[in-house]
Amino acid sequence: MNADSAVKLQLITLVGPPNSGKTTLFNLLSGKNLKTVNYPGSTVEYSIGKIQSKFGIKADVLDSPGIISLNPNSPDEEISVNSLYNHPIYGSPNFLITTVDASQISRHLLLSMQLIASGFDIIVVLTMNDLMEKRGFRVDEKKLSEELGCKVIKVNGRTGEGIDNLVIWLKQKIDNDRIEIRENNHNNRIIPKKIFENAEKEQLLKLYSDIEEIEKKVITPLPVISEKNFRNANKSLKILNPTLKSGNNQPDELTLKIDKYLLSKRLGLIFFFLIMSVMFTSIFWVADPFMSLIDDFFGWLSSITLAFLGNTWYGDLIADGIISGTGSVLVFLPQILILFLILGLLEDTGYLARGAMLIDKPLSKIGLNGKSFVPMLSGFACAIPAILSARTISNRRERLLTIFIIPLMSCSARLPVYALLIAFLTPSDKLWLGGIALAVIYIVSIIGSLIVAAIVNRFNKRLIKAEDNSSFILELPAYRLPKAKVVIRNSIDNAKQYIFRAGPVIMVLSMIIWFLTYFPNHNPVIDETGLNTEQIEQMIKSERLATSYAADLGKFIQPVMTPLGMDWRVGVALISAFAAREVFVSSLVLIFRVTDSGDIRSSMISAMRNAKIEATGEQLFTPATTLGLIVFFMFALQCLSTVAVSRKETGGWRIPILQIVIFTSTAYILTLFTVNILRFAGIA
Amino acid sequence: MKTASKLNFGEKGIISDIDNTHPSFRRILEIGFTPGQEIQLINSSAFNDPLAFSLRGTLIAIRKQEADCIILS
Ligand SMILES: Nc1nc2c(ncn2[C@@H]2O[C@H](COP(=O)(O)OP(=O)(O)O)[C@@H](O)[C@H]2O)c(=O)[nH]1
Ligand SMILES: [Mg+2]
Repeated sequence: MNADSAVKLQLITLVGPPNSGKTTLFNLLSGKNLKTVNYPGSTVEYSIGKIQSKFGIKADVLDSPGIISLNPNSPDEEISVNSLYNHPIYGSPNFLITTVDASQISRHLLLSMQLIASGFDIIVVLTMNDLMEKRGFRVDEKKLSEELGCKVIKVNGRTGEGIDNLVIWLKQKIDNDRIEIRENNHNNRIIPKKIFENAEKEQLLKLYSDIEEIEKKVITPLPVISEKNFRNANKSLKILNPTLKSGNNQPDELTLKIDKYLLSKRLGLIFFFLIMSVMFTSIFWVADPFMSLIDDFFGWLSSITLAFLGNTWYGDLIADGIISGTGSVLVFLPQILILFLILGLLEDTGYLARGAMLIDKPLSKIGLNGKSFVPMLSGFACAIPAILSARTISNRRERLLTIFIIPLMSCSARLPVYALLIAFLTPSDKLWLGGIALAVIYIVSIIGSLIVAAIVNRFNKRLIKAEDNSSFILELPAYRLPKAKVVIRNSIDNAKQYIFRAGPVIMVLSMIIWFLTYFPNHNPVIDETGLNTEQIEQMIKSERLATSYAADLGKFIQPVMTPLGMDWRVGVALISAFAAREVFVSSLVLIFRVTDSGDIRSSMISAMRNAKIEATGEQLFTPATTLGLIVFFMFALQCLSTVAVSRKETGGWRIPILQIVIFTSTAYILTLFTVNILRFAGIA
Repeated sequence: MKTASKLNFGEKGIISDIDNTHPSFRRILEIGFTPGQEIQLINSSAFNDPLAFSLRGTLIAIRKQEADCIILS
């Protein structure tokens, strides 16, 4: 036995139907905190983790996208099925844990039976037993184990109850396997070919009739208890809907009642738009008090730094370049946090699948699919996971078209930019107006993306090749109360990731921009006669900027910016935004040297109000140019990571290049129109 | 021949067969629409399509055109 095989950890792969609790179990075993979503198809990529040391097992666990059967139907399912045989990085799993939702046993056993028939070594973990018991039934795991011929263990994903049993069993299993490996050095378990690949109707029907037999044997009604006790028991389990009478083969009663409204013919769409608009408008309102706090903090930090270091170049670098620059973006963190929080809440309830169903018809008219809804919605957080989640769409053409338009969804990186520009446009005492303006931006960006999809779909059949079968088959999961702890933890994780991703970029770019705007003429000579200190200060700043490297650079951009009614200073900020969209805000702060004590946001806005175009003396930021900038950010593709992911997921450069060219030129042209039409209409 | 897409709201039916010439037929079977099962039409989207059926203790949304391959007895 060589050292390598002794060190190499065993690999346990989690497989199971979508929404059966795999990721929840993965989190319990690995102590990680991957996102769990009440939507079939929320995991589209593997995740690997080590089993927590507290369990005393040395093994890796792999979480995989949900599959209904061993015949993959979409790219995410293909990933899972392939990983069962041979994972490209981690090799083939030593054994599998298959999750089966107890309340869905008659459908979920199909995969377990197929796996057993294909010769896989599996352990079945029964999840959602709490939901089953709520209906007044339980599954006899001993009987099920006898019927299937493999170990069956119950685990409650929400409380972690039963995980200890699983761990004990895994421990034994791993120890036994080790002995086996020692005995016959080679692991010559025959990897069966996908025997079900060509499974025909008969085989499936046979499997199902076997499952029905098993189901009869293993499901037993719970002993009847008084209704009151039952309700109390349920309350303590935080279950939404205690019902005593419903049978096992009926969908959750409360879910049916809620769906009467949310999926009603007349009200369904109204609720849909209501939910979406409450979501977008609340971002602005709820976040505001938290933003003021952060704002005050950075303003204070910047002013004491300046007071401490004095009026030196390094004082300017630290106070202006680093603190104000970074602070100007971090101020908007609460909005981003709230966006994640709201998305998380929505995801956990089970509404997403309904949303997908509600808009399948209109989306299919423009070459998309109802299943495009979830990727599009998650595009509001970030385009990268959104593009990955398009893997759940089985029709390739629909998937590519979805990926194509995702960069048009207003991602969280654009929030700081919009928030600043909206704050400039709306009076600060009319917060409600800001919320509505943001909602309008979101709605316009959705409509814009749909128009783009329709155009691409209509006129360019060659752009994305046609594919025959378009299908929409989606389970509508039972509604659940979102688990606050999980949602909050996830949002905080996301916000942290945001800081660690954007933070360094913003800091580095802030320093670059600071350097470009401070040198070479950092101590300009000006005529001071008849000016007070404040005016002198102002003069020095503008003279320094006008003779800076940034101004030299700006001469190249000026011709592009003039038609938009803007000058090179905005141009430099726009270019720096290609590193990360938020950098636009920090660059403006630096270029306009916002150093006033107090809060950054209001001094930034007053600096914007005072800014004049040098050549003409006209106002730089007017309602027309500000709206123009908003339009630019709605369309321009300014994110390199998005381009990289789009290339990987579409398998070539064609789509990402088209995205860059089409979206960025559309952005410029639409901005040009917006600014000039508004001016023509008399709105300077 | 009555198919699942012809059910009225709230109406139940027993599946007798699945049309195996339909491109989605395997997925329809795999998700649990098998002969002998009782299904009920519960909801539809505001555009009448897709339809949501109650099946095996859960709700499943499928397009009308897919419901057409589910033959009822
Ligand atoms: N009531 C209950 N809910 C659970 C249990 N396990 C998981 N869930 C919830 O079921 C949903 C789907 O879980 P997830 O782990 O994302 O499933 P996956 O798609 O198989 O990875 C989530 O909303 C979980 O919070 C359980 O044992 N009981
Ligand atoms: Mg998952």
